[in-house]
Amino acid sequence: MRITVNGSPRDVDTEQSPILLAALRDQLDLTGPKLGCDHGECGACTVRLDGDLVYACLTLTAACENARVETVEGLGTGNTLHPLQQAFITHDASQCGFCTPGQLMAATALLDQNPHPTDDEIRVAMSGNLCRCGTYPKIINAIRAMANGASQ
Amino acid sequence: MTAPRKRFLQTVVEVEGRTETRIVEVPAFEPAPWTADAPLSIVGTSPLRVDAFEKVTGRARFTTDITRPGMLHAVIVRAPIAKGTLTAIDLDAARTLSGVRAVFGPGDAPAATRLFRREVSYAGQPLAAVCADSLDQAERAAGAIAASLTFDLAPHAITGHDAIAPDAPRVRKDGNTIAPDVVHRGDVDRGLAEANVTLSLEYRTPVALHSALEPHGAVCEWNGDHLTVWESTQGIFRVRKDVATALDLPQARVRVLKDYMGGGFGAKNGAGAHTYTAALFASALGVPVRCINDRRAEQTDSGNRPATVQQVTIAARRDGTLTALVLDALVPLGVSGWEGGPAQIFHEMYACPNVRTTETFVYINASGMQAFRGPGYVEGAFALEGAMNTLARTLQMDPVALRLRNLATRDERANREFSGNRLDECYAEGMKRFGWPSSVSRPSSPFSRVKRGVGIAAQTWPTGGGPPSYAHVRINSDGSVDVLAGTQDLGTGARTIFAQIAAEALGARLDTVRAVIGDTERLPYTGNSWGSMTTPSVGPAVRMAAEDARMQLLEAAAQMLDEPVESLSTRDSQILSHAGVCLSFADLCRKLGNVQILGLGSRGPNPALAIVTVGAQFAEVEVDTDTGVVRVLRLVAVHDAGRIINPALAESQLHGGIIQGLGYALFEERHLDRARGVPLNANLHDYKVPTMVDIPAIDASFLVGADPAANHIGARGIAEPPIIPTAPAIAAAVADALGVEVREIPLTPWRVLGALAQ
Ligand code: FES
Ligand code: FES
Repeated sequence: MRITVNGSPRDVDTEQSPILLAALRDQLDLTGPKLGCDHGECGACTVRLDGDLVYACLTLTAACENARVETVEGLGTGNTLHPLQQAFITHDASQCGFCTPGQLMAATALLDQNPHPTDDEIRVAMSGNLCRCGTYPKIINAIRAMANGASQ
Repeated sequence: MTAPRKRFLQTVVEVEGRTETRIVEVPAFEPAPWTADAPLSIVGTSPLRVDAFEKVTGRARFTTDITRPGMLHAVIVRAPIAKGTLTAIDLDAARTLSGVRAVFGPGDAPAATRLFRREVSYAGQPLAAVCADSLDQAERAAGAIAASLTFDLAPHAITGHDAIAPDAPRVRKDGNTIAPDVVHRGDVDRGLAEANVTLSLEYRTPVALHSALEPHGAVCEWNGDHLTVWESTQGIFRVRKDVATALDLPQARVRVLKDYMGGGFGAKNGAGAHTYTAALFASALGVPVRCINDRRAEQTDSGNRPATVQQVTIAARRDGTLTALVLDALVPLGVSGWEGGPAQIFHEMYACPNVRTTETFVYINASGMQAFRGPGYVEGAFALEGAMNTLARTLQMDPVALRLRNLATRDERANREFSGNRLDECYAEGMKRFGWPSSVSRPSSPFSRVKRGVGIAAQTWPTGGGPPSYAHVRINSDGSVDVLAGTQDLGTGARTIFAQIAAEALGARLDTVRAVIGDTERLPYTGNSWGSMTTPSVGPAVRMAAEDARMQLLEAAAQMLDEPVESLSTRDSQILSHAGVCLSFADLCRKLGNVQILGLGSRGPNPALAIVTVGAQFAEVEVDTDTGVVRVLRLVAVHDAGRIINPALAESQLHGGIIQGLGYALFEERHLDRARGVPLNANLHDYKVPTMVDIPAIDASFLVGADPAANHIGARGIAEPPIIPTAPAIAAAVADALGVEVREIPLTPWRVLGALAQ
C-alpha cells in the first residue's frame, strides 16, 4: 500500500503494521513520532494526515492509502530548520525532547489554521500533547514568537 | 622513582536526603573557587541547549528508538492479583503462536533477578515473558498466557492502616513494618509546655506516579560473552552493576549505553525487570532483544512516590517563635523500597529547638516505591508548610513573617553551618515579584461563586553532591575539545553545562567543546543523576580536568614560544602572552601533532558544611465553589542554588518541578481497587498529569550569586527543590480563598466540595 510520507511516496505493508505509528517507526525508520502510551493519551505520536492532526497510535495504516502523512522529519529540509523548529531551539522548548516531535506537529497544525493564536488558543490547541518535563511555558513562548514573527 | 602517592579521605555525601559516609580520593590539586565576582564569561550565560537540534528534528535516538539487526521484541506478563500463589500457567499457549521465539515462566530466570516467581505479592508483578519477531506478536502471545493464569488468592493489604492492623495479612515474610524511625532534638515536652498556641493537624498525601513520557526500557545484545545494554536510565554505572550482579557477570563484560532519555524523575536509577528479561532472551536466542514497558506496566510497576498520613503537632509562642514540632508519619512503601519519609524537612527547615519525628514504614501489597523528585521532602513539606500556614492564621501573623521569625541559621539536624543559605532573600524577592500581600486580586463581591486566594510555602533540600565522580578533558589535534564523563542527561541539560564549564576553565570557545556522556565502557565513572547531584558532583571534576588540560597546553606553549608559563593565559581558544603574542589552540595542537593533551579531573571531598538549596513559592488561585474546581492563576518561585551555570536551562527545570508540583497538588493520585488490590488508573487519561491548559503564569528565578564554600564551581543542585513547596503553596491559597483548609491532596473538586460542605 502506498502513502505519501513527507512528500515522498512510500510503500508500507499494512499486514505487518496495521497501525500507522508502527508503519512509520518500524518500516520507514521515522522514529520522530514516539510511542508514549499507545492509547491516544499523550500525543507523543502526533503526526498530520492530509493536514489534520492525528494520533498515529490510533490511526489505521489502511486508512492512509494515498493520503499525505507528515512527521517531524518532514518539517525542515536537510539541515535547514522550519522556523518553528528554530523557535523551539531559541526558546529552549524541549527538555528531554521525547514529546517534542509531537508538540511541533501539533503547533504547526495550530498555526496553519490560526496564524495568530492567543495564549488561551495555544493552550487549548496544545492540550492533547503531554510534556512531563513541564516545558509548557517555553513551548507557549516558542509558538507565540513564531506567530508574532509571521505577522511582520 | 616512585609514582606520586594518592591520598584518600572520609567524607559525608547526602543522596536524596540520606547521608552516606564514603572513602574518597583527594584530588592532586583543587582549583581556587569561582567566587561570586569571578570574571566568568561562559558559565552563568545561557547558550542554547547543545542537543536541541537533534531534539527538534526527531533525530535524537531514545532507547525506544534503538533498533539492532535481527532484533526481537519481549513483553512481560504481569500478575492481575495483589496476593496469592500462581497455580497454573500455560506457556505453550504462547509457544504455538506465530512469530514467538521463546517463552519464560516460573523458574526460568536466575533468582537474583527476582523475575517470574509463583508467589505473588503485588499486582503487576512479572510472572512470565515472551519474545517474538514483532511487538504485536509478543503482545498477542502475552495475552494468551495471561488468559491461562490461575491463582490461589490470599488476603492482601493495600493501605498503611490495613497493613498495621492486628490481624493484617502478611505482606512479606520479614513482617509488615520496619521498626519506627524516631529522631529528636531538644525536649519536646518542655517545648509544648512553653507554647501559647499548640495545633494538632493531620495531613494526607497520595501515591504519585513518575509518568515519564518514555517508559522504562532496554535493548540487550550479546557479542560472545560481552553484553551491551541500551537503557533509558539515570545511572549507567548502576545499571551495569545491577546487571552484572543479577546475571553473575564481571562488570568488564557489561557495557551500558544511554544517549537520549525521555525523563526519569527518580524512577530510572537501576536495571529492572525489562532489562533482565531482554538480557536473558538475548542470551537464550543469540539475537538482540528489546523490552519496553507499555504504558500500563509503566503506571503499574515502575516506581512511585509513596502515600503518607502525617500527624503534626506545631507549638509556638504568641510572637510566632516555634517551641516544638512533632511528626508521626505512616508511610506505606509498597512491597519494597527505602525509608524515604517525610521527617527530614521537619528537622532542617526551621530553627525550632525541640523536634521529634516518628516514621513508621510499612510494606503493602502494591508495587514498590522509588525515589520521585524530592522524595520525602515533598510529602513532608505539604504537612510542615501547611501547619506553618495554619499557625500563621491562628496567630494572625503574616506567613512570611512567621517563617522569617523561625529562619534556620544553621543546620540543627546535622549540627553544621550552611555553606550558604539566602532563604531570607528568596522571601524578599518573591514578595516583591508577587506583590505579597497587598496586590491580591480579590473578587469584588463576597457572594461571588468564584473565590480567590493566595498562599506561600518554602523548601530546603540537600544539594551538595559529592565524590566520587571523574571527568577527562581531551584536546584533539585541531584544538577542539572532548569532555568525557560517564554521566547522563535526563533532559536537564548536562551536556550543555559541562561543555560550558570546560570551555570556561580552558579558555576555549564553547562551540569547540563537546561533552560525551552515557557509556560505561569508554568514559570515566560518575554517579547516578539523582538527588540534584549531577552539577555539583560532576561539574567540579569537569572543571578540574579542564584546568589540568589548560596547564598542559600552557606548558607546551611556553616551550614553543620560549616564554615563561606564568606570562601565558588562555581566552577564546587562544594562548595569549604578556608580550602580546597570540597562538591559537588549533595551531598549538597542530604543532604538537598527535601528542595527546588529556586533563584528568575528580570530585574532591565535601566541606564539613550543610549544603542546601532553598526557596519560596507564592501562589494565587481561583476556586469555583459550585464545581470545586481549583485553577492556579500564577506562581512566583525564587530559589537560591548558588551559582547558576545556565540560567535558561535552570529556569526550564524550575518550570518542570513547579508543574509536577501543581499536578501533585491538584490531580495526581494512583487508585487501587480495595477489593482486588489492582490499579484502577494505570494510564495517562485517568491518572491525570498537568496539560498546557492547567499551567498558570509562572515567574521562576534564582538569586544571582555563587556558593564557593560548597565546591569550587560555586554551584549547588537545582532539579528537586522546585517541586517541594508548590503543593503546600497552592493548598494555602485554596485555604485562603475558601476559609476552609483541605489537608489532603490532590485537591480534587470532590475534596474541595466536601470541605466546603462541612
Ligand atoms: S502514543 Fe499515541 S497518544 Fe500516546
Ligand atoms: S520535554 Fe520531556 S516530555 Fe516534554
